[in-house]
Amino acid sequence: MSADAGLWLTFVLIGLATTLPRASFIVLGGRVRLPSVVQRALRYAPAAALAAIVTPDVLVVSGDFAPLNPKLAGVIAAVAAALLSRNPWLPFIAGMAVLLGARAVSGG
Amino acid sequence: MSASSLRLGAREGFLSFLPMSVGLIPWALVMGMAMISAGFTPLQAMGMNVVVFAGTAQLGTLPLIVAGVPLWLIVVTALALNLRFVIFSAAIAQGFRGVGTPLRWYCGHLLTDGVFACCFEKMLKVDDPHWRLGYYLAPSLWSWGLWQVFALIGVFAAGSIPKHWSLEFMATIALLVLLVPLARQRPMLVAAISSGATAVVLRGMPLRLGLIVAIVVGIGAGFGAEHWSRKEEAA
Repeated sequence: MSADAGLWLTFVLIGLATTLPRASFIVLGGRVRLPSVVQRALRYAPAAALAAIVTPDVLVVSGDFAPLNPKLAGVIAAVAAALLSRNPWLPFIAGMAVLLGARAVSGG
Repeated sequence: MSASSLRLGAREGFLSFLPMSVGLIPWALVMGMAMISAGFTPLQAMGMNVVVFAGTAQLGTLPLIVAGVPLWLIVVTALALNLRFVIFSAAIAQGFRGVGTPLRWYCGHLLTDGVFACCFEKMLKVDDPHWRLGYYLAPSLWSWGLWQVFALIGVFAAGSIPKHWSLEFMATIALLVLLVPLARQRPMLVAAISSGATAVVLRGMPLRLGLIVAIVVGIGAGFGAEHWSRKEEAA
């Protein structure tokens, strides 16, 4: 198998490993129903997943817990913008400006 | 009749997703650039982007592909990164009653974090299946288009955007913008804080399994907080 063919096989398998979990219950639909307690618990899944992806991204710097970094300043600015304003661009502008500003100040 | 309710649903879904879809642009640009810097040809990069269509799984497996890790480990890692979609899929499944199986597969393929967060509440509330289908498909197809177009721009822009701009931070902001309105409810905030803290503590777990444990802990904490506040109200 050539390196190129191997790479495409890898893409297809990663694609399957993505589409199968995504389609699982949507395709099974009414045939399999989750108990209502599980459904109520599942309402917390998106908030939990988003926090689980974002938090280490912000508070961990090259493997170490280091909360006081320019990213945290950027995040605080972005969250404040999202809470205080309905402008969809503002969190991005505020977050990026504060991140780059804090980096320039800290020399990092 | 059904075509017009499909269109009405599509319009509303598109409009409610439009502002948050801005967050996909930096993600896709970063993705395109990352695949080129991993050594892919533009055709291979866009091939992965179309076949996989998942930012987290693509960004997560890229370093493993570059390192020449065995295929099974790459696939297991991708599954671990995507396990949250089983939860999302189960949560939104009721919204697809009245939709045929082939279309369900297609809708499943298109399920992303952003579309789920945006659509799932109304998908469960509205009765008209055509309206729901439109409401789901419009933001999904819009996401797909943005993802491909801006990844393509990233593929060709790779190298000309300075690294110190830290464009990837826009992706973090995008995820936070999704999280903020959810966390306005107390149990949701409890779920988010518990999950985030667990993910930090367990960051060293292999295959990013800490992510899955953190999600489970967050769900448990949110559910617990809901029960606890109900008991307090009753007392």
